[in-house]
Amino acid sequence: MQKHNQKEHLYKLLVIGDLGVGKTSIIKRYVHQNFSPHYRATIGVDFALKVLNWDAETVVRLQLWDIAGQERFGNMTRVYYREAMGAFIVFDVTRPATFEAVTKWKEDLDSKLVLPNGKPVPTVLLANKCDQGIDVLMNNGIKMDQFCKENGFVGWFETSAKENININEASRCLVKHIIASESDPVQSIEPDIIKPHLNSSKIVSCSACFKS
Amino acid sequence: LVLNSLVKPGSKPPTTPVKLKKVSTFQEFESNTSDAWDLGDDDDELLAIAAENLNTDVVMETAHKVIQNHSKLQEQHKFQEEHLQEEKQEEFAQLTSIAYGDNRLVKSVSEGHTSSSSDNVSENSSMQRSQSLPQTSTPPLVGGMAECTTSVTPVLTEREASRLDKFKQLLAGPNTDLDKLRKLSWSGIPKRVRPIAWKLLSGYLPANVDRRESTLQRKRKEYFAFVEQYYDSRNDENHQDTYRQIHIDIPRMSPEVLRLQPKVTEIFERILFIWAIRHPASGYVQGINDLVTPFFIVFVCEYIEEEEVENFDVSSLPEEVLQNIEADSYWCMSKLLDGIQDNYTFAQPGIQKKVKMLEELVSRIDEQVHRHLDQHEVKYLQFAFRWMNNLLMREVPLRCTIRLWDTYQSEPEGFSHFHLYVCAAFLVRWRKEILEEKDFQ
Repeated sequence: MQKHNQKEHLYKLLVIGDLGVGKTSIIKRYVHQNFSPHYRATIGVDFALKVLNWDAETVVRLQLWDIAGQERFGNMTRVYYREAMGAFIVFDVTRPATFEAVTKWKEDLDSKLVLPNGKPVPTVLLANKCDQGIDVLMNNGIKMDQFCKENGFVGWFETSAKENININEASRCLVKHIIASESDPVQSIEPDIIKPHLNSSKIVSCSACFKS
Repeated sequence: LVLNSLVKPGSKPPTTPVKLKKVSTFQEFESNTSDAWDLGDDDDELLAIAAENLNTDVVMETAHKVIQNHSKLQEQHKFQEEHLQEEKQEEFAQLTSIAYGDNRLVKSVSEGHTSSSSDNVSENSSMQRSQSLPQTSTPPLVGGMAECTTSVTPVLTEREASRLDKFKQLLAGPNTDLDKLRKLSWSGIPKRVRPIAWKLLSGYLPANVDRRESTLQRKRKEYFAFVEQYYDSRNDENHQDTYRQIHIDIPRMSPEVLRLQPKVTEIFERILFIWAIRHPASGYVQGINDLVTPFFIVFVCEYIEEEEVENFDVSSLPEEVLQNIEADSYWCMSKLLDGIQDNYTFAQPGIQKKVKMLEELVSRIDEQVHRHLDQHEVKYLQFAFRWMNNLLMREVPLRCTIRLWDTYQSEPEGFSHFHLYVCAAFLVRWRKEILEEKDFQ
């Protein structure tokens, strides 16, 4: 299958956020294309692998680390975060407390993990369960853009694991930023600095992502 | 800090000559513990069930050897009972110290050898068993499981019946000899007497028969006084996080059917919330919810005739009976958790320690598996965390957990130390599959 001139990347991605926000469901949807309302609570960490044909020359293997949401496991996260290249932080739009926890997760992540160039890992914020309609937080997209800028997220998406909304898009957005950060080990990637060649041929409809 | 102290170089794996000695000790331990899965039953039917999945002549042969040896042993047993028991305890103590992987283990192993070789009779018997049970044999395990499944044939075999009689005699009193009960329960408790046996083994019920009923009444009253006192506070600001976590987790447990019954959900929420409130050092930790289930299921069995508990409609039981089950489950779970408290306190030091101990143990008893995992960058914490946190309940069917807990409750520190060896046995049992696996991504 693999062409001779193809490059292969392996990226470890973290999926973190409060318990019950749908981390496991998002991963199952993304990797196995299915959904069940009955996934068991994740204990410690679970794993999944997703292979993306990124473009004609590149295959991307995503090693997804599904990390238990309970705070009690918090101290374990240092072990789990090690050598990750990117992260999703997930919250549940129907439970405001899970959104309030987003900054805690981001701080935890940034304090325990930096890229080899010293920068924080690219992180995408996922507002999950957007199919449930109780849309208290999402009404104001501009506010969310602002929130992401202030807290160092490279983008945000309303997602639904149940209805399969925006999960592929969110992943492409994250991978794009990982590739960008990899090819530019010295310079930091500020939201307003865009390397044109990185965005050229990618078809990522990443409306919420302010780097494209 | 805990992590740092765990990975400090002081706890390096030992050198080769020591390792060899340890391997033999683990095998001794393994053989000594192998009868946990033995029903003391040479029923061919059971063997057939046991071999169903493996279906090789080797397995059958091994199983027959085990049974033959076991029957022989049982004859000798009467004379040696006391010796064996002593030896077992001694060896167990040795193994526990081995597992700490520090320098004193070398000493304790050699000491252990001197003392057990002074006892010719018991050493002899332990060797017999050791020969009859190579590491790869599984039939005793599966055979043992058959007993705790909802049994296919409700009619008891002669041996089952006599075993049940032995339990009944012990339980009848006037004072139940707990040491004898432990010894008998170690290789599995018949379903009919399991509820009372568990209550005795966990220390919830007194050995004295006359005091049991009043104890039950008092403890049940005490539990519902807690409910009265605390349960309304579940929506208070300082408790609502705890309650919400429990509330989210209950529908996400197994077994599939029971957990979805509203009545069961209510009961589990109360048990877990009360426990969390009364144990602020740990509070509610994901995984503790699983630990209620075996008690609940076993205690439900006390009141029903049905074989299929998992499909049983709990709400059909009278309210009073349900309350008894709830209170009994609460107290027995509390007793269990008392023994593994540091698994669930901040940063879960008990689990980190046990995962580290498992790693050291496996590095000695199965270097190949250990190296394989290491080469493929599989960290023990990645898979064994859950094994410790949920006591393997996510890894084996509920009926096997229930059977396993017969033994855990018969061991001193069964849920902590003995569990560690079960986890190691798990890895060794699946070594072929593990070694064949080249892609852990």
